[in-house]
Amino acid sequence: MIILTRKGLDEIEEMIKGCGSLLVLGCETCSAMCFTGGQRQVEELASLIRMKKTMSGDEGEVVEDAIARQCEIEFIEPIADKIKGCNAVLSLACGAGVQTLAKVFPDTRIFPALNTKFIGRAVERGVWAEVCMACGDCILGRTAGICPVTRCAKGLLNGPCGGASGGKCEVSKDRPCAWQEIYHAMKRLNMLHYLKEKPQVKDWPIHPDKVVREDLMTVEST
Amino acid sequence: MDAGVSFQTGKAQKGEIRMDIRANREQEDYPPCKLACPIQTDVREYVQLIAERRFKEALISIRRQNPLPRTCGRICTHPCETVCKRGQIDNPIAIAALKRFAADSSWKDQYKEVVSVKPTGHKVAIIGSGPAGLSAAHDLALFGHHVTIFESLPALGGMLRVGVPEYRLPKAVLDEEIQTITDLGIETKPGIRIGEDVKISDLFEQGYEAVFVAVGAHEDRKLGIAGEEDLEGVVSAVALLRAVNQGQKPKVGKKVAVIGGGNTAIDSARSLVRMGAETVHVVYRRSMEEMPAAREEIEEAIREGVQMTYLTSPVEIRGENKKVSSLRCVKNELGEPDASGRRSPQPVPGSEFSLDVDMVVAAIGQVLDSSFPAHDLELAKKGKAIHIADPGTLSTSRSGVFAGGDAVTGPATAIKAIAAGKQAAVSINAYLKGESIPVVRSNESVPPEKLSSTVVEKTRKFPRCETISVPVADRVKSFDEVESVLSENLAIGEALRCLHCYLGATIDKEKCISCLNCVQTCPVGAPATTKMGEITIDRFTCQACGVCVLECPVQAIDIELQPRGYVMSQVREALSDSHNPMVIGFFDYYGNFGPGDIRNLKENYPSVAPVMVYGLRRIDTSDIFKSFELGADGVILAGCPVESDPFPDARQSVERRVENAKVMLDALGLDGRRLLFVEMPKQGLVDKQQVEELMEIVSDLGPNPMK
Repeated sequence: MIILTRKGLDEIEEMIKGCGSLLVLGCETCSAMCFTGGQRQVEELASLIRMKKTMSGDEGEVVEDAIARQCEIEFIEPIADKIKGCNAVLSLACGAGVQTLAKVFPDTRIFPALNTKFIGRAVERGVWAEVCMACGDCILGRTAGICPVTRCAKGLLNGPCGGASGGKCEVSKDRPCAWQEIYHAMKRLNMLHYLKEKPQVKDWPIHPDKVVREDLMTVEST
Repeated sequence: MDAGVSFQTGKAQKGEIRMDIRANREQEDYPPCKLACPIQTDVREYVQLIAERRFKEALISIRRQNPLPRTCGRICTHPCETVCKRGQIDNPIAIAALKRFAADSSWKDQYKEVVSVKPTGHKVAIIGSGPAGLSAAHDLALFGHHVTIFESLPALGGMLRVGVPEYRLPKAVLDEEIQTITDLGIETKPGIRIGEDVKISDLFEQGYEAVFVAVGAHEDRKLGIAGEEDLEGVVSAVALLRAVNQGQKPKVGKKVAVIGGGNTAIDSARSLVRMGAETVHVVYRRSMEEMPAAREEIEEAIREGVQMTYLTSPVEIRGENKKVSSLRCVKNELGEPDASGRRSPQPVPGSEFSLDVDMVVAAIGQVLDSSFPAHDLELAKKGKAIHIADPGTLSTSRSGVFAGGDAVTGPATAIKAIAAGKQAAVSINAYLKGESIPVVRSNESVPPEKLSSTVVEKTRKFPRCETISVPVADRVKSFDEVESVLSENLAIGEALRCLHCYLGATIDKEKCISCLNCVQTCPVGAPATTKMGEITIDRFTCQACGVCVLECPVQAIDIELQPRGYVMSQVREALSDSHNPMVIGFFDYYGNFGPGDIRNLKENYPSVAPVMVYGLRRIDTSDIFKSFELGADGVILAGCPVESDPFPDARQSVERRVENAKVMLDALGLDGRRLLFVEMPKQGLVDKQQVEELMEIVSDLGPNPMK
């Protein structure tokens, strides 16, 4: 899922200063699971913003809501009137959610309350790790399920670089060498011969990217 | 079936007495204690009220179902405790002792109640004033009917007065309870014996429209062995206990054998010890396992020196000079289970032996008095009980006549008799109004669900309170009450052991995003996932700790014990009482605080408005922020000491939440020092120094700019 963190209160305040009435809007999928965008976090942030506004004399009502996913128009539509009734929306979603809101409501100011960090997973309670860079050309089948693009500090496709010591990356001692992990996993899986094959070459996508599935398309899409 | 009658107490506190006995039996959310109680006393509710120091309300809750709370607090066989979920963890909640605490401690403040009931003009006669008769009279009076109680003995109370010894139920307590019932405007006619002084048919002629026969079972079964009829020193337990309870001093042997294993046998044995018998044997044909007497009664009897002779049946009473000289017995072994489901005793050939005794007390069960006028009503069990046409309504062979209690069932418990009385009241009320009589299902208690071994392991154990009783050496010298009432602190501590069955978490499936946080954080493992990712919380396993409510990012979980929203409603209320400065204090019920501390807190720190919660686990960061948003100048979170915390593993997350809130308050410019997190001291709600430090900070920082 998408891993997110909340921006600092000062940054949020700077963004919304003088915006008038504000809807603090949660997004209850990835963002809720990161404890950044559920109803609870909406309440918490809205309360802080209201206090901040009172202290700075900034006018405008602060209202709260949360929807299932801000990146889907179907979930946004039921609260369209509420959004239109506010001068601005503070979105507790990832960049996809913020941009969807901005597209659907071109006349409303949409502010991000969060920073979209990466595609990752919770590795323990309160700790999320990046696991995929969405490179568009997955090679995990050749690397024993460990992504060197994401987890090697240098993003080497045909590593290792030789700088690792004691299993740790030369960039940071906290960081395991992805290629060493790949080597051990490949050995365990009797796949070491893969590493001797011709070097891998990656087809990097051009951004912004788009996926088109003609078999799923209904009418002519944009 | 929920006939409600409102009443007001002397201090104009509103309460309600409901006669909805045994309705909604099948309701799955009933906690085991309530389900097991023959009158469905809302045990969980009053235990919780005691935990919250709302003692008067606890008594009102008890009285809503039970007209004899002080009696039941002492002598009830408490089927509720047998099924208590806590019993699967360590020991059940001492429910009966808590009932006694609530009833005894609030009795004087509580009753005189002022009852305003509209009279119906109907007249009802009740024959017998034991627990069944008294309960029926109480409920019928509240229905507005004119009730007259006929009692053959000089004073009301039935077996409660003449069967239960003083050391278990003091007469003064019983008198006060009966007085409260008769104060409802009930006419009493003691010293009138039905059959001899007045016939049931006469009662109808006298204008009574319905009769409830609750004459009890006051005649001991015969032992049916040689020597029983003709020897001096063979006594019936009922006669013995009656004489003692009426203040007489019957002649007592030096060495006595009491035959039987019920409460009457134990009551007789313990009374005999007090009357000077040197040795008392209780001779019972099965083993202790099968003994119908209450376990604690057996234990107390043994403590007082009563000797238990199990697996033994009397064969013959032998005498010298027409006086008992010994009891010939035979040893038994247990064979196949009989109709009662207990293993039947089989005599072991050649195992006869003699007990050297000079008195034999027969206590092998009681039946309907043989002098009961059979011509008025159809009898059952070979004339030993009153026949009931329909156990669902307690109606007899005669229209308008209802019967219940021991006279119908044979000797049973007080609480079952109370249930019969209440059922009779409902039946008679319907009968008088010409309505169809509601049929009440049987009150067989359902065995409670079994907790998994993981839950048992994960649930923190807290020892059951020890009741204080008079030392054996002193108690055997008199009939003074043996057990004393729980102290306030003990009672509260005991009430806090409650595991809040069915007051726990529920999931709104519409909102749930299956994030698994509840599954990962529940201290007892109540939530589970289906293959398709749906999350369910086992309602019986859940102990209402509240952890998952705050862990759920989308607020899909709510809880019955102090639901979401409860904290803020309390905060709003607390803040409405304006003081300068104003500090919200969240206090944990599980804190070990002494009596009157909340009052002391209010006197010493009028600025601290207390909000009581079942664990600080329930206080969300947003609750803290909103308290400031609403104008609080400071917030104290006072957690219980770790020794009394039922969920110690959840403490860290509370601390971290507070730390995070402090950081955010600093970022806001409101200053995190306004937020104080403390552990409650061993005595009192808060540490004086800590509160004063906070007050200083608050006054240095000035008022909350939100005001």
